[in-house]
Amino acid sequence: MNYLDWIVLSLTLIFVVSYGIYRSREKQSMDSFLLAGKSMPWYHVTLSLMATQASAITFLSAPGQAYTDGMRFVQFYFGLPLAMVVLCITFVPKFSQLKVFTAYEFLEGRFDLRTRALTSFLFLLQRGLSTGLSIYAPSLILSAILGWDITWTNIISGGIVMLYTISGGSQAVSHTHLQQMAIITVSMVVAGVMVVKFLPEEVSFTDALHVAGKMGKVNLIDFTFDLNNRYNVWSGLIGGFFLQLSYFGTDQSQVGRFMTGSSPGQSKLGLAMNGLLKIPMQFLILLVGVLVFAFYQFTAPPLFFNQTVVDKIKTTQYASEYNALESQHNQIQATKRPQVLALTDALKRGDEKAIENSRNTLAKMEASVGKVRTDAQTLLSKANGGDTNDVNYIFLRFVIDYLPVGMVGLLIAVILLASMGSVASAYNSLASCTVVDIYKRMVRKDNDSHDYVAASRWATFFWGVFCIFVAQYASRLGSMIEAVNILGSLFYGVILGIFLVAFYFKNINSRAVFWGSIIGEIFVVTSYILDLTAFLWLNLIGCTLVIAFAWCIEKIWPQTGVTPKSA
Amino acid sequence: MELNENNPPDSDGLSEDSISRDGLPPFVSTWKQLYIVMIGTLALLIILFYLFMTHFQ
Repeated sequence: MNYLDWIVLSLTLIFVVSYGIYRSREKQSMDSFLLAGKSMPWYHVTLSLMATQASAITFLSAPGQAYTDGMRFVQFYFGLPLAMVVLCITFVPKFSQLKVFTAYEFLEGRFDLRTRALTSFLFLLQRGLSTGLSIYAPSLILSAILGWDITWTNIISGGIVMLYTISGGSQAVSHTHLQQMAIITVSMVVAGVMVVKFLPEEVSFTDALHVAGKMGKVNLIDFTFDLNNRYNVWSGLIGGFFLQLSYFGTDQSQVGRFMTGSSPGQSKLGLAMNGLLKIPMQFLILLVGVLVFAFYQFTAPPLFFNQTVVDKIKTTQYASEYNALESQHNQIQATKRPQVLALTDALKRGDEKAIENSRNTLAKMEASVGKVRTDAQTLLSKANGGDTNDVNYIFLRFVIDYLPVGMVGLLIAVILLASMGSVASAYNSLASCTVVDIYKRMVRKDNDSHDYVAASRWATFFWGVFCIFVAQYASRLGSMIEAVNILGSLFYGVILGIFLVAFYFKNINSRAVFWGSIIGEIFVVTSYILDLTAFLWLNLIGCTLVIAFAWCIEKIWPQTGVTPKSA
Repeated sequence: MELNENNPPDSDGLSEDSISRDGLPPFVSTWKQLYIVMIGTLALLIILFYLFMTHFQ
């Protein structure tokens, strides 16, 4: 990186961290530390929800996913607007009415302490693990660019977030989200424009999309109903609906964001706007990935996008074998460029026969490229061991290799800011649950507010250390954005099932829902281990099983002496 | 008390009209209309994405 990049990167980070600490000058109460004093307008709520969901993982993995797998990932978000409607109608009024700090507090009023503790535990486990992945994402960038040891990179990047989250709490988190989202949006647009600018002169934006489309990357919609197909309209609408409903309605990292709204109306509008904006935003991020793919059809891409791993193999006995594969790859790419230009020319002329010929030739070349890449990955695995998935490096490598001085620093700062936004929300929510659901409820019930603020700061510190520890193991997973969603799907369905029983099944009592959720979770984990279905469906399965088991248990083994409580 | 969309409980001292409109954007007059707009937008996006895909593929 050029010194100018370093200056841009350093100044941006110093500004955000200082701002976060500046927000913590005021004396904090429990309400302001955990829920920003319930003072935020709707646009703060919307941007905070989006910043919490769209971490560095979104920014890094999604373009890489579009590059390798096309744009079909956008279907994953189709259930989100529907989930936002249900949240506005059911969850926001309930949580506002009870003036809860965490979503799980509500469950004790409806069921009992045991059920509250179970859901809180599932949340802490799932969120603690997935936040580790969110810390790993920017660490990946720094280690790739600077050659830093990943362990220290995780400690530094996770530690910076701890600084302002511990001092500023939820208020600092919400205010920094606003700036982060503004910078991210502008930078994504600039990155997209730059990719188009780097295309050959005779190739326009639409030509690039046509090339990507003919090579199967504009696969936005798939109406085929297939339980084993990860992304199609139905898995997105149904499975995605349950995942998003559970994520936004029962995951404290999101509940804690919309509960910062200054009134129920502001919280609801914040959620509604998130429902309207999220899919177009995700579409644009994936579009950047497709444009990067189109760019690399005219300019030879690297054989493997993670340069650190490539540098490593070149110092081993496998160097000559790898170099031979690189030469083979370069040869195929050199012959590919005229074919791609021929395709764009045929597209302009509307010559269907020529288009079909070019398309078939390119498909064969792509298959050859795929084979060489597989051979290279096998070799890299043999030489270096560990994971050889480079999906997360594709966009990053493009940024470093082609963006001008200053922009590289800015985009790396943006990736770090995006990560900081989601990690900060996670730290804050993990601390909220630990203090409100465990410490305040079970350990020290009647301390004053300042004691709980101090406890929240210690809890934030503890979870920060835990998440950094988890980050050390994240590199063994494939695409991080998928890993996070798979992890969420293992727990979210069951948690959602508990909440839906609480809201809509007034005759089911605590014992039935508790054991129903334990059995449901065992089924979900077993289904995942045995690979019975695509992960998005686990949300629906988990939710349905909890409701069904709880209903059956209540019928077979009714809980006597309990007055049915209204939700 | 039964909760509904236009009658949130923590609305101390506000008239029913101002409560029901709290947070509503100017282009709709009820929350129900806003939800219809959201679902309509989703349907429109799916159609647009389908047309985008068929055009470029």
